Amino acid sequence: MEFPAALFPSYFGAGPPREEGGPAPVAGWGEHGQVLEGRPGRRQVQPAFVPRRGATGERWEAADAAAVPVLLPSAGCWIPSPVPQDILYRSSLCRKLRAGKSGATLDFTRQLGHFFVDHPEDAFGSLGRLLHKNFYLGNSKLKRPARNSTIRMTALVEDIDRLEARRGCPRQHLASRLRWFSHLCRDWLFEVPLGLLADCVHEELMQQWSNLLFDDSLTGGALAWLPPEDGRTPVGCLVHPGGQAMNHLYFQDVVLEELPRTRGSPAWFELSGRIRQVAAARVNGQDFVGVRSDYHCGVWRVPGKRGAAPTPLQVIRTDVPASCLTVSPHLPGELSVCTQSGTVYLWSVETGLQQLRHDPQTMFFRDHSPWRWSDFTGHPRVLSCADRTGLQCLDARAPKRCHFDLFKVGEEAGCQQGERVVLPMYLGRAHPSQYLVTTQFSVYVLDERLPLVPVLKWAHMMKAPPLFAHLMPGNPGRSHKVLLGASRTQELLLLQYRDSFWAVSSGGSQSACQLAGTPQKLQSIAGCLQHLPTQLPHRHHLLQQRLTAPAGGLAATLQEDGPHKSMLIFQLSEAGDVFCQRLTHKTAQPPAPHPQPSPAVPSPAAALRYRRWLRALYRAYREPPRHTWPPSLSQRRLFTRRDLEGPAGPSSLQRQMRQRLRQTMEEGGRIQRWEPLVLQPPPLPQTLDPAGGPDPLSARLTAAWAGDWEQWWEERTSFSVAQRQRALRERRRRQKRAQGRRSLSASFTSSLTYQSELSELSDTGPPLLSPARPPILSQESSPPAGSSPVRSPATSAVPDEALLSSQSLRCRGIPKERRKTLRDYLSVWAEGPPEPPEPPGSQASQLCIPSSQSQLSSASQTRRKRPRMGF
Amino acid sequence: SSNEHKLNFKKSKEACLSYIQDALLQKQWKRAAEFLTCYVESLEKDYSREHIGPSEMIWRIGTEILWHHSQSSMKEFNCFMEQMKTLGVKRYLKVCLEHVFHLLCNGQIDEAYQNLSLAESWRFGEQTAIQDKEMKLIQAYRGLLDYYSWSKQKNVLLEHGEDGFSDLAVEQEMHGYFRKAAVNLKEIIKIPGVWDIFVKCYVDLLEFYGDHNEARQVLNEYAYNSKFPANPNAHVYLYQFLKRQGESKKSLISALKILHDIVPSHELMIDFNTMLQKSKKRKKRRLGLEVIFAALDYAGWKENAKAWRCLARQVKQIVISEKHLDWIKQEWNSRKDWWPAFHFSRYLAKRDWQENKSLSYEKALVAGILLGKDCKYFKYVSHQGCKAQLKRFRMLKKFVNRHNPVYLRISG
Repeated sequence: MEFPAALFPSYFGAGPPREEGGPAPVAGWGEHGQVLEGRPGRRQVQPAFVPRRGATGERWEAADAAAVPVLLPSAGCWIPSPVPQDILYRSSLCRKLRAGKSGATLDFTRQLGHFFVDHPEDAFGSLGRLLHKNFYLGNSKLKRPARNSTIRMTALVEDIDRLEARRGCPRQHLASRLRWFSHLCRDWLFEVPLGLLADCVHEELMQQWSNLLFDDSLTGGALAWLPPEDGRTPVGCLVHPGGQAMNHLYFQDVVLEELPRTRGSPAWFELSGRIRQVAAARVNGQDFVGVRSDYHCGVWRVPGKRGAAPTPLQVIRTDVPASCLTVSPHLPGELSVCTQSGTVYLWSVETGLQQLRHDPQTMFFRDHSPWRWSDFTGHPRVLSCADRTGLQCLDARAPKRCHFDLFKVGEEAGCQQGERVVLPMYLGRAHPSQYLVTTQFSVYVLDERLPLVPVLKWAHMMKAPPLFAHLMPGNPGRSHKVLLGASRTQELLLLQYRDSFWAVSSGGSQSACQLAGTPQKLQSIAGCLQHLPTQLPHRHHLLQQRLTAPAGGLAATLQEDGPHKSMLIFQLSEAGDVFCQRLTHKTAQPPAPHPQPSPAVPSPAAALRYRRWLRALYRAYREPPRHTWPPSLSQRRLFTRRDLEGPAGPSSLQRQMRQRLRQTMEEGGRIQRWEPLVLQPPPLPQTLDPAGGPDPLSARLTAAWAGDWEQWWEERTSFSVAQRQRALRERRRRQKRAQGRRSLSASFTSSLTYQSELSELSDTGPPLLSPARPPILSQESSPPAGSSPVRSPATSAVPDEALLSSQSLRCRGIPKERRKTLRDYLSVWAEGPPEPPEPPGSQASQLCIPSSQSQLSSASQTRRKRPRMGF
Repeated sequence: SSNEHKLNFKKSKEACLSYIQDALLQKQWKRAAEFLTCYVESLEKDYSREHIGPSEMIWRIGTEILWHHSQSSMKEFNCFMEQMKTLGVKRYLKVCLEHVFHLLCNGQIDEAYQNLSLAESWRFGEQTAIQDKEMKLIQAYRGLLDYYSWSKQKNVLLEHGEDGFSDLAVEQEMHGYFRKAAVNLKEIIKIPGVWDIFVKCYVDLLEFYGDHNEARQVLNEYAYNSKFPANPNAHVYLYQFLKRQGESKKSLISALKILHDIVPSHELMIDFNTMLQKSKKRKKRRLGLEVIFAALDYAGWKENAKAWRCLARQVKQIVISEKHLDWIKQEWNSRKDWWPAFHFSRYLAKRDWQENKSLSYEKALVAGILLGKDCKYFKYVSHQGCKAQLKRFRMLKKFVNRHNPVYLRISG
């Protein structure tokens, strides 16, 4: 394609945009922009000028009154996404505020309140249980003794109701009781700390709100049309998402007739995420379809022949949500992927991913949006990458070195302040080096050969930013058509432009790009509401909600049937509906004095479509989802009658059990064992806090907090080595002794139980302390136990333990008969649970005790796990 | 209360505007016009602080309607424009300029010229930056119209000159147009921007009067001043000027080399390649190969038979002479992973054969050399060519088969 011999004049400045910005409702009308001599070099009486905007374009008129549904609504309800009313403050005070400049106010308290009401267990679970005796919800006055420990909540609830009624009242502060209550329990009442919870709710609310204002995850649109290969058979393929979660991908053959109709059942795939974007391109006669969801991107190949099944080729997973997926129109199986972290990849099905750029910052100035986009250019190895501030092109062979700026939000393109890139698109099918860039205010056509200076610019005046665009290239000499679509408002705009304004036959050289004809608004899905038969109010509401759902994609095709040319435009809604409209081309003729308005009522065929669609829609809504029915099972076939006949009456045991069950339920307790005789549950295991000192974990953490962890560790290891040695020695001795005592009578041993238990607790005491035989002093000469398989590290020493140990008592020369008294005395001093504290040494030794010898209480068993948990 | 009234008025104004917008977008010009007559009231109580005020809205909407309305006439349009000019002082120049554009597009050059002259003499207080720019444009367009008048006179004179009869008055007038045009055109092209027609006209004037140095300076400035956008046309104009001046090959090549650096896909690259291929210097011929390879990288050149012929010719030369095979090898290295799918797929072979036999011939030659005789493209095309009993294709097959070892050397 040749470069235009002369371009329309324009100023070129550098730097940030100077023009003050803002939505301008009519900025696109009544302007020629610039003019250029139409046929330079021709000798003629007068030069002929052509305008940049305002040339005549083709006439396209709607064939029917409104868009008609192409697909029947799928079974299963559609869950509408939140609307502004759900999260905005509704009081009168705030309406006033909103009228001013402050913008919308999010109803944060209501959302937090919803959380408390919907998830009371998560919000107040344990404290609620603890306090429920102290909260009284009746209407009567509280009696004197109860008043000391109970407060009457009814008054508080009344106060809250009153507060709700007085919202916006300047004397709101009078609700002193509420203030007092919230002041009192704000800090401890909530299961999740209130500040943390509020942060999370607020963050989510802001996210939802910004999504409502502008959801850029849909950029590009999730609808694609794969045209028939040769153009002769009028069967194309519509690729669209569906299912309740929009996670099914459908490939539906569609026959293009007066009203397009589906043919056969679609091929479909279930994906693991909501489909955000469907992109398609045709390379070498095959269609490649890229599908983007938040964390996965996939690519399918659809053979040129219709009816052949699409084959999935590859899937990639991203850690950060992907924001863009485009398919190369040049090379088969090549795509480009962008993630919100600012990474751009060239993805080839054969060679995998190649990272082209990684930059979390925006390119030309700082903008908070993590949205990134990338597309292909006229050179198969050069990709464009975009963020909200502009576009750059990079060479995939040397992405760091070879790049140039294609578009900048700034004075270069004559942008307004606050203008941001919304959707870039490569216009390769119309012109190999042209590019479309849309912002919330304008559309630009750029030429790669003349970067930064738009060859065409026009203020599109759309109410919502155009997230979808579709190009329909015109034959040489005819205009190219571009469709722009917005999501929230469902707007559809048809533009025409020419990349040359005199016919190719009249001269070799190309001319500058020119906007042709006036932009044309097309019918939206919601527009068909008025043409549907009258509905009952609740159904009307349902229908309205469904039809006004934000648009989710856009596709179109040109159809030429001899002299009749028509354009079919498909629009996808977030509810999964695909609607279609046909425009017919009116051949150039002197404009009629009264241009035919589009038909006022739908054609009979369209009306039939509507009726069918409505019927299917209501069927889908009426049918209760099956899975919500309570599951039931007939037992008639499982058991005979005799089986089902129970005994005449409950046995005494059963009675007893029932009684016990009832009693426990009343107490709110639990049954631990079903032994009939033990009615009292065994005492709960004691709390794990050892009284004598902090447990090893706490000690370690305290040390670490204080900063002398290393020292602590040193002490501990040296200590434990000595201790382990002792423990090992002790164990050996015990083993020897046990072997020798096997013959002793059981009664004798049992009489010693008390003392044996006691000695278990002392760190080095012998397991069975016979009163007849005093324990032998530990042999200092026994070999060190460095190689012993003691895994559990010893804990810190407790002075009381050392005092209590029988050995140490003996060492101090205390007579045997007095040792018990002393021990009892000291145990009184050791505060805490009646059970003596866990001796560090015993742990080590217990671990080494063979199972046949272990006589451990349940308490010590539970304690045994702790040190391991600490590590 | 007055506040409420104000709010209601604002609301009804907005509603009216949205009706107009709707009508315009659906090409219902008559309906839009009816609403516009109501909207004119909004001028009375203009409390808005938006950056497009009601007066500008009325101008824009009215203009659009008058362009398309079946019953509007040029007279009405002019009348409306005159009213609009007095309505908003800030937008006076803009409205004037747009009016002139409309007159120009409708062939009313003289009226346009008058309007431009009038607008040029307009003064109102301190000029804003935008107004300054608009004023410069107005002057430039007047210069352009002066240039066209000059050109007309020149043609008259040249025709008369052939008769050997010269008219002094006409000549005087022509020189007058020249002066007026030159002054204004010279001004605008100093400011950074895209001024293709103004530069062309100014250079034409200068060349006619023999001021080649000034012309060269203007073109150099337009092409090489870094404040101006990288406009390929600036380089093209310079190249054409140098060619007209009969400059040496060397300076032509250096001008095109810069164009190649900024736009490798420019259509002049074929001329550039031919020029380089003819050169005796090895380095230049090497550059020629680079240029044509780079051009064929672009999707827009995919079906350019001329370019493929250039490449085929040069590759063939190199293969026959067996010198500089490393040039091909080097160029091919960065392309061998994607050119086969981009240019030489079986699908393209079929399509090229059906649509453009000579293109498929050139491409098959290149494919046969670069990818060997087993390449899908070459195989398909040579097979079809032999089947169709075309001598050219039989020769091609023989040539590629004979030189198949070259492929091994290139790919190895």
